[in-house]
Amino acid sequence: MRTLFANVEEVFREAAARFTLVAYAALSSVFIGLFAIAVNLDIVDGALAGAKLFGKELQMGPRSVDLNKLVLGFESGFSGFLYVVATFLAVFATAHLVPRLQEKGTIDLYLSRPVGRVKLLLSRYAGGLLLAGLNVAYLIGTMGFLVWWKTGVVHPRFFLGGAIIFFTIATLMAFAFLVGVLTSSTAVSIMATFAVFFLAAILSGHRQIEAALTAEWAAALVRGLYWALPKTGQLAQVTVDFVSYGQLSRHTHEIDRLAVFGSTGAFGLVSLALSAFLFRRKDF
Amino acid sequence: MTAILSAEGLSKTFRTPFSRREVRALDGLDLQVASGEVFGLLGPNGAGKTTTVKILLGLTHPTAGVARLFGLPASDPESRRRVGYLPEGHRFPGYLTARQTLSIFGRMSGVAPAELKSRIPELLARVRISDWADMKVKKFSKGMTQRLGLAAALVHRPDLLLLDEPTDGVDPVGRREIRDLLREEAARGTAILLNSHLLSEIEMTCDRVAVLRKGRLVATGRIADLTAQGFTYRFAGTGVDEALLGAFRESGAGAERVNGHVKLTARDAEHLNALVDTARARGVLVTELTPVRSTLEDVFVDLVNAGEAAEAGGTDDALRPEGSPG
Repeated sequence: MRTLFANVEEVFREAAARFTLVAYAALSSVFIGLFAIAVNLDIVDGALAGAKLFGKELQMGPRSVDLNKLVLGFESGFSGFLYVVATFLAVFATAHLVPRLQEKGTIDLYLSRPVGRVKLLLSRYAGGLLLAGLNVAYLIGTMGFLVWWKTGVVHPRFFLGGAIIFFTIATLMAFAFLVGVLTSSTAVSIMATFAVFFLAAILSGHRQIEAALTAEWAAALVRGLYWALPKTGQLAQVTVDFVSYGQLSRHTHEIDRLAVFGSTGAFGLVSLALSAFLFRRKDF
Repeated sequence: MTAILSAEGLSKTFRTPFSRREVRALDGLDLQVASGEVFGLLGPNGAGKTTTVKILLGLTHPTAGVARLFGLPASDPESRRRVGYLPEGHRFPGYLTARQTLSIFGRMSGVAPAELKSRIPELLARVRISDWADMKVKKFSKGMTQRLGLAAALVHRPDLLLLDEPTDGVDPVGRREIRDLLREEAARGTAILLNSHLLSEIEMTCDRVAVLRKGRLVATGRIADLTAQGFTYRFAGTGVDEALLGAFRESGAGAERVNGHVKLTARDAEHLNALVDTARARGVLVTELTPVRSTLEDVFVDLVNAGEAAEAGGTDDALRPEGSPG
């Protein structure tokens, strides 16, 4: 446990010293702060009777707006936004963890301690995950609190939506670790992880892509890639659907929950296992 | 004494991934270091010194052979529980302070946080960087970084220290302090394996050395034995005249005047004693009789040159895997 805590502490100290995280925390706080200060709602009998933005009255029309629906709309939109932003920032903030560890003159300092390589790697993964998780929790938690403060409405599923974002981050971070072990390059880790994120999102429309392809091998390749890569596109949809409707997807015929979570989790686990295996065998 | 570090038939071949070209960095190395011993590892660039240390620490996997620390295979992380390591050109995270660095690496070596509270100030004082305890490492000079590295290697009170160029970038006073510190550690029973290009440092610090060349051990032994020039002595006394030198030569000894003393070469200890008896019988008052030694640098250069000459001649006979170069 001492090794784990020492590594987690180091990850946090490094994050505190890096501009990326400071910027992330600052931008998040500015966003939250603006929402807290600028939006003022006038609620009458559980409905939105009026609203002010930066002190200016907003036109509400003749009918009052159902507050519950309004909050849900905001929360689902915000969770979709957060899915992309939090995932990107998490990758940016943690992709250096392995390449920096593997730097000449640094790796010797760590591996000469009585700590197994797999344990060392997983400790840093845990540190990175905790860091990213706390960022997601900060954004969702604070925003959820502000929404409750302004409207009196609380949707627990808004907070639980953060778990899906965290799951996506954990998967992509495992892949970034794998690329980091292989290349010892932060830039390549970030680029490769984003490439997977976007490619996988495009492949969520694999049926349409396959139908448009004439060569069977190309269609098989698209299908294979779809199943091999994490389902980043569907997970974004699942996050929004969960926050909006309280179910993983209202399009159950289109999105097989088990396939989405199972194959994405498998991708993360294989990436992490492979990175541990390669890190263990590597000569420094 | 029990060997706490041992290598048997250690070999390492590096292969380039695409050309499949092979580079043999280590070739059947045997090595042993006992507790309380200060052992120097010498060799020209590319001799295999760093590869040896890396295999001993489990950083690199050997192609053949076995390396053990405290009886455990080097691949077992537990074998490093009592090992302190100072790598050459080490880079501690620049965003940590000296105190934080020792805290993190101390805990990774299994030291309890409560113990570190007293241990860290003690160590910082010992390596003379207490005044910079809370300064970020990125602001440290090379000498201060080296001192911090030494403190990090000692944080868990190791019984074996592996040090790669420990005085690199340190001023002469600091070098002496580090030598004294290493001597103190050896006196309390810590075995030390020192890897340095500074042969004078090795000569002043080490009990035994091993000389590597192209991954092979070409000589190993006590420095006094390696640098001894047979039975050659510096001899001085009152009333030493040419007649005495002639008598020495007649007995088969070598005797020549050099800078006010006599360089005397005997066949063996008995012959040397006979020469002293001859001088005493002629009324000479002996004031000095000290063995003449080569410097470690002379020995090192001779060994490396002998290896290259042997290679050029297509034989390795000039290289001796064990014993003095004599």
